[in-house]
This record gives sequence, C-alpha cells and structure tokens, in this order.
Amino acid sequence: MNMNVGECYLGWSTKDEVREKGASGGLVTSVLAAALEKGLVEKVLVLKKISEYDAEPIITDSVDEVLESAGSLHAVPVGLSKKLGLQLTRLGKKIATVGKPCDVRGMYEMALRDQINIDNTYIVGLNCGGTMPPILTRKMLREVYEIDPEEVVEEEIAKGELIFKTKDGKEIAKKIDELEEMGYGRRENCRYCFVKIPTNADLACGNWGVPKAKQGQATFVEVCSEKGIELLENAVNAGYIELESASEKNINARKKVEQAMIDLASKWREKLLPSIPDEERLSFYIKELENCIGCGACKTVCPVCACGDDSKCTTMTSELDNHKISLYHLIRFLHIMDSCVACGMCTDVCPAEIKISQLQARFSLPFQEEKEYVAGMTLEKPPFFEVR
Amino acid sequence: MMAEEWEPKIVLFACNWCSYGGSDAAGVARFQQPPTTRIIRVMCSGRIDPAFVLEAFLEGADAVCVTGCHIGDCHYINGNEKTKLRYSFLERVVKELGIEPERLRLEWISASEGEKFANFVKQVTEDVKKLGPSPLKPEGVQ
Repeated sequence: MNMNVGECYLGWSTKDEVREKGASGGLVTSVLAAALEKGLVEKVLVLKKISEYDAEPIITDSVDEVLESAGSLHAVPVGLSKKLGLQLTRLGKKIATVGKPCDVRGMYEMALRDQINIDNTYIVGLNCGGTMPPILTRKMLREVYEIDPEEVVEEEIAKGELIFKTKDGKEIAKKIDELEEMGYGRRENCRYCFVKIPTNADLACGNWGVPKAKQGQATFVEVCSEKGIELLENAVNAGYIELESASEKNINARKKVEQAMIDLASKWREKLLPSIPDEERLSFYIKELENCIGCGACKTVCPVCACGDDSKCTTMTSELDNHKISLYHLIRFLHIMDSCVACGMCTDVCPAEIKISQLQARFSLPFQEEKEYVAGMTLEKPPFFEVR
Repeated sequence: MMAEEWEPKIVLFACNWCSYGGSDAAGVARFQQPPTTRIIRVMCSGRIDPAFVLEAFLEGADAVCVTGCHIGDCHYINGNEKTKLRYSFLERVVKELGIEPERLRLEWISASEGEKFANFVKQVTEDVKKLGPSPLKPEGVQ
C-alpha cells in the first residue's frame, strides 16, 4: 500500500482476541505490537490496567504485554509524557508510545527542552473527548448510576452518553451533559480543552468518523507524519492489521464530531474560567493558594518543567517566607505560561486540592493566544526562547 | 504633631553600563529626585530574572522598575531584547494578579540621560503615592 501524510484510513486488528478486547477494533494495540515484534522500536510505553479506575504506565519489550493493554480507560487520567524511560530516546533507543493529545503536546514541549528525542519517539495519538477523575467516577457510579463500581467491566462514551456495563450484563447510559451539570463527568481541564485530535502525533486514531456499521469494530486513523507511515506499513506487512481508505463521508463525520467538541469546550471555558473583576483578583489568588503545603508535586508531574531539583521556583522560596502569596506558584505561573499544555496533572496530584491547572489556565490561555502559540503542537521554539 | 507623609519604597534594577550610569549622571548634574528608590545594580538588564521582580514585590516593594540600555545599545549584544521579552511575561502575570500596572515599569535609560533618570524616578514616585502601599506588602513591613 502506498501511503502519504494526511491520508485517512479505517483499520482493525486481524487478531480476533485483540479486536474483541480493544475499544474500536484493536488497531492501536496491534500497531504497537507489530512495531515491537518487527524491531521498528525497542520498547513500547503502554498503560497496564490494574482496574477500571487504575492503571500503571509501563515501558515494556514484551509483545504479549502490549497486546494485553488493549481496551480504553476513560477514568484513568495518567500523564504519559513525563514517564521515566522516554528519556532513553535521547540515547538513540527507539520507543513507541500511545498518548492523548495532552500527552503528545507534553512530549513535544519536552523535546523542545531536550528531555526526549522526538525523532526516536513513535507516537500513536488517541482522540480524546476528556478523561474522568477515578475517585469522583466511583462516587458517581454509587450515587447516580446506583451500581457497585467494582462490578463495572466496561465503559464507553458514545453519542454524548456515558455507558457502563456491569458483570451481570446490565448496561446503563446517562447523558454526559447532565452528569457534568451535577459536578461529575470529565475533569475540568478536559472540558475546556480545544485539542481533541492529536494531529501532532505520528498517527491520530479514534472512533470518530467510523461508520455506524463498523462502530466498535474499526478505528479511524489519520497519518500525520513519515513515522506514522512507517508504523502503519509495518503493521500491515506484519499481518497485524487490515486497512481500507476512509471515505469523504467518514472524514466529514469526524470533523463534525471534533467541531461539536470544540464548541462545547468554548462554552465550558466561559463557565469554568469566569473573568474576575481586577480589584478582586489578588484576593482570589491568595485564597486559592493559601492551602499550599509546598510539596512540589505539581512541579514533579509537569511535562513542561525541565529545570530539575535546583529550579528557581523551589530554591528561591522557603517555608519561612512571610509572603502574602506563594512565590513558588508565581514563578511557576510565569515560567510555563507560554508552554502549559493544560494536561491537568498538577490539579490531579495536589494533596491540598488546589486547582492549579485551572489557575494556570487563567495566565496561559490568554497569553498563548496573544503570542499566537499553541503549546506542544509543533517543534517551533516557544515564546520564552524567542531571543537567543 | 503632623503625621509624616507616606513614602513608597521602589526597587529599581539598573544595568551597569547605561541606567546605573544614568543615575550617576543625575547625581553629578544635581537633578533633584525623591529618595524613594533602592537601586540594584546588575551587569545587564538581561540578568534580571522575572523571579527577582516577583520576589521584590512579595518582600514589600511598592513598585519595581526595570531599566537598561536602549534597544541596540546593549553591551552584551541582545541582553535587553531578552529583558523586553521576559517583561511581557511579567506584565501578564502582574495584570492577571490584579496589581496596578503602574507598579511595574520598564524604561530604557542611557548613561548620559541623567535628567531622564531623575524625571522617571519622580514620575514613578508620584504615581505610586497616588496608589498607596502595595497590596502584596507583607504584614509588618513598612
């Protein structure tokens, strides 16, 4: 098959087992497994499922472990870009990885700071409408769905509905809009995220644009780079996947879903990040940050932060400071303002439950618009490094 | 007894080659200026990390001024262009925090512009006096 960058295909795994287990035909799993088996890459980064609400990112060289990782997990918001091991790409090791748009953007920002080598990283991007916080999801299952969270065997998002299937075959669907009005559903930063299709990855995969007859059986995949062609051709030649060209209709259907998601995101952005009058802003930030215990977890998980242990934000601050507002956070706000990919990991890990990602967005979103820079989409230098 | 008029405390970063020379020139030529500034001399305005400015505010400065050589005159080729870029980051943070924009200033002052330096200090002092003490001033700091 002769492929070009920008072409779209529908594809599925040739292995029944993987096709069954995968959310939409097991294409992603098969592409990764084929790349590993045929030696295109030395290691693969995938999520190892622990439960429906927990998974561990692992770097593996076993094909079986990759095949085992099939299936989607919406309630496991793990950031993959800063996973230890991706740094091996700097030493010339080739690694294939999956990633949500924010993971991919994080990887690009890391590449710009010489943390990984993007040329040796094969990225299979996954379309993402948002992920859900695990603890809140369990609570939602108990209170809204009225089922035991441990009973859930499968979850799915389709047509604006969140569907859970239980062990005894029950299937319960609820409208995501309504769940989000009640405070459940997707993480806040996912709701106002505008990058739903990771066109910066090598392949952009997802179920948007798959015709009804093939729903759940096939994946829509867009080839976004030369490395993407390598990945797909390798998988086809190895007999792992089958492909057919996507029709104009499929492509338009995918675009429509994306546009609908983006429209929804701009509504949520107004709602979740309401503007605050000038004179109340300072007290707002002081109040939001007053519970910070200075653990530094937000910095540790941040894919944009590359300063290491001796960073300015930590060495210039002390627990003894008599400051009205944390200098640590002000430095961080400023430092990653141009490059924040809004992955929301900082909010997720904060033990004091400070919504750091949402605070950061108040600085970075308008600033990135002003500088006309969308963080993590290209290998163009971020604004902070404009002057050399 | 009359209460003394409140005097703001202004931290002024000056580059060694131009603005610090400018302040010297202001002194030599006896241009009057209020004694509100605390000048910190740096080798180049490009050395001024935004974190220094933020820390100055948090330690109780009522205003922070960043001064350096005119664009094109930098003794380290393009240090002041870096300052200009970082200043745009600082401006956004200060604006978003709801601190009055008059409290953060950027001015290019050459070594011969003593009068400009004195006028600049006068102007900033006047503006800050109107605004009153900085809302970021810690408890117990005058």
